[in-house]
Amino acid sequence: MNPATLMILPVALPLVTAVVALMGRRPAAWRRWFTGGSALLQVVVAFALASTAWHGGPQVLAIGGWAAPYGIVLVGDLLAGIMLVLGAVTALASLLYGFAELPVGDEHPLRLPLVQFLVTGINLAFCTADLFNLFVAFEVMLISSYALLTLEADDWDIKQAFPYMALNLVGSTLFLVAAGLAYGLFGSLNFAAIAERSTALAGTPQLTVLALLLFTVFGMKAGLFPLFYWLPNSYPILPSPVAALYAGMLTKVGVYVLLRIFGQVLPPDLPLIHTLMMWLAAATMIFGVLGAVSRNFIRGILSFHILSQIGYMVLAIGLFTPYAIAAAIFYIIHHIIVKSTLFMVGGVVVVLNRSDDLTKTGRLWAVAPVLGVVFLLQALSLAGVPPLSGFWGKYMIVVEGLRQREWVLVGCALLAGVLTMFSMLKIWNGPFWHPEAAGGVHLADARWKPMTAVAGGMTLLSLGIGFGAEFFLRVAHEAARQVLDRGAYVTLLLGGGN
Amino acid sequence: MKAGQSYIFRAVGAVLFFLINVFAIYLLLRGHNLPGGGFIGGLGSALSLIMLSLAFGVERTQGILRTDPVRVAGAGLLLALLTSLLPLLAGDPFLRHYHVVLPVLGKIEVGTPLLFDVGVFLVVVGVTAKLIFVLARPNADLTALAPEEWRNYAAPLEEPIEKTARSESPAPEDDVP
Repeated sequence: MNPATLMILPVALPLVTAVVALMGRRPAAWRRWFTGGSALLQVVVAFALASTAWHGGPQVLAIGGWAAPYGIVLVGDLLAGIMLVLGAVTALASLLYGFAELPVGDEHPLRLPLVQFLVTGINLAFCTADLFNLFVAFEVMLISSYALLTLEADDWDIKQAFPYMALNLVGSTLFLVAAGLAYGLFGSLNFAAIAERSTALAGTPQLTVLALLLFTVFGMKAGLFPLFYWLPNSYPILPSPVAALYAGMLTKVGVYVLLRIFGQVLPPDLPLIHTLMMWLAAATMIFGVLGAVSRNFIRGILSFHILSQIGYMVLAIGLFTPYAIAAAIFYIIHHIIVKSTLFMVGGVVVVLNRSDDLTKTGRLWAVAPVLGVVFLLQALSLAGVPPLSGFWGKYMIVVEGLRQREWVLVGCALLAGVLTMFSMLKIWNGPFWHPEAAGGVHLADARWKPMTAVAGGMTLLSLGIGFGAEFFLRVAHEAARQVLDRGAYVTLLLGGGN
Repeated sequence: MKAGQSYIFRAVGAVLFFLINVFAIYLLLRGHNLPGGGFIGGLGSALSLIMLSLAFGVERTQGILRTDPVRVAGAGLLLALLTSLLPLLAGDPFLRHYHVVLPVLGKIEVGTPLLFDVGVFLVVVGVTAKLIFVLARPNADLTALAPEEWRNYAAPLEEPIEKTARSESPAPEDDVP
């Protein structure tokens, strides 16, 4: 069988899993085994696709046999492969973590199906090479995420979730407008067709308007300043396994699409957009990390950190050199793993201390040093301490910024790094270092051990990324090369004939 | 929605239910090459369910349907998925469709898109019916969700995210009967 035919599996597998889990109405052990097995299979498939793209170049699947630019195509290049692997690994970890956290009977019957629907949407967004199909992927992802967010919510939670939904609905509407505009300009929504035809329009106001619209839409989904306030209040209401998945994947889909659209689809000479991107990224970093400093509960701090880290990735995209794009890709690899682990650690603290309010937690370094080590490694990695994985991404971004003489932006990035360290120390001083725990330490609650084990596994991955940075950098550079090679992309999708 | 008070509505509704569904299925079957299709047919069929629940009450309509509408939607999704995954077995791409022409009653073209459309039909019927039931049941003094869908866990051991903010916000008013 043609390996490209298998490219549908990252989308089809979670969808089938979701439907089967949905049909078994009540939470049951078989549903967990089934979903977990499927998640494992998804990891294998994602690795297979990534390695195909790494060794054999990008793969194209024309759905239903209808070729581009008329049909919808899925493209599995190295970047998509990397994202699929990260998504599958995070989803598997968050599933296992959730199994450890919650007895079977207490699970909401819709949680597993909804998580799988969410994964379907995320994976489709990574694979697709069509603007409208991308919109569909976003909708699948967002609708599942609205449902998951309010599935086990009380009135207070729903109030927090409302801005999330309202802002994302506005974003979806704008996305639709942008897709309409793109269709009017190019007569096609296929990425390669847009890439081919937009070159002639480079520098015209129409293209700038389209680019600005798309930037607004995806910037909002990624959580860029100033449209980020849907994120920091809505993520803390999620149950921690789901929060780990959201924190790892959802905003990174926005970053991925920014990378794809501005790196590959639209022409590279959009200086206005790139400048805007860099400065908004800097603002996101600073405001995000200041928000994190201001919070006093773990999930709140971590939620704001997502934003500040998004700033680094978008800054790298804005710098827009092959080196910077590779840095952005490496940063995504590092960030997804680290961020979901930190949310998992937060969940374990809640189990042990019965609270994640920093003033009520404590003593964990004395009773659960393994958890402390996991947290410390990931927190230092997030702050960018060598040789952990976060250092290399930050280093590359700073080097590229200095090369382009963007002193202020580099200053912002470094300042955000220092403040990240500070807010991580805030968490450290609470649950781990504080000598008293107001809620007591519930070591007898055995759930924390398997939960810590999952977080520890993710930490090992993260350490691997840090110490194997040489290999991951090569992968990131190759992925960046594939993204920036617009000519090859057009030839691949549309054929050399026309 | 309480059961309708009107005898005429109930009597006509029972007949209309079948008429609407015949038309919905007609729309479904002609859909591949002509206006119609699974989505619009499903909406028609869902309309008939809404009408039934207006005439006879939600609980009775749910009884007629016999199963949770979510399962209907799930079955439809599964059918559509299997139809689109079938070509993978033959090594063809996802969603490839196959046709045969049956020499019955002239020439009838039958293909896998019809199965896909039936799946879409079921999804639309199931989702719409579920929406209507959930929204309508509180009006009939029933709980909106089935017991197994009730919230039974939201990290019961966690503190509310910002208790200060919560204590500042006005206390929720008690339900006034």
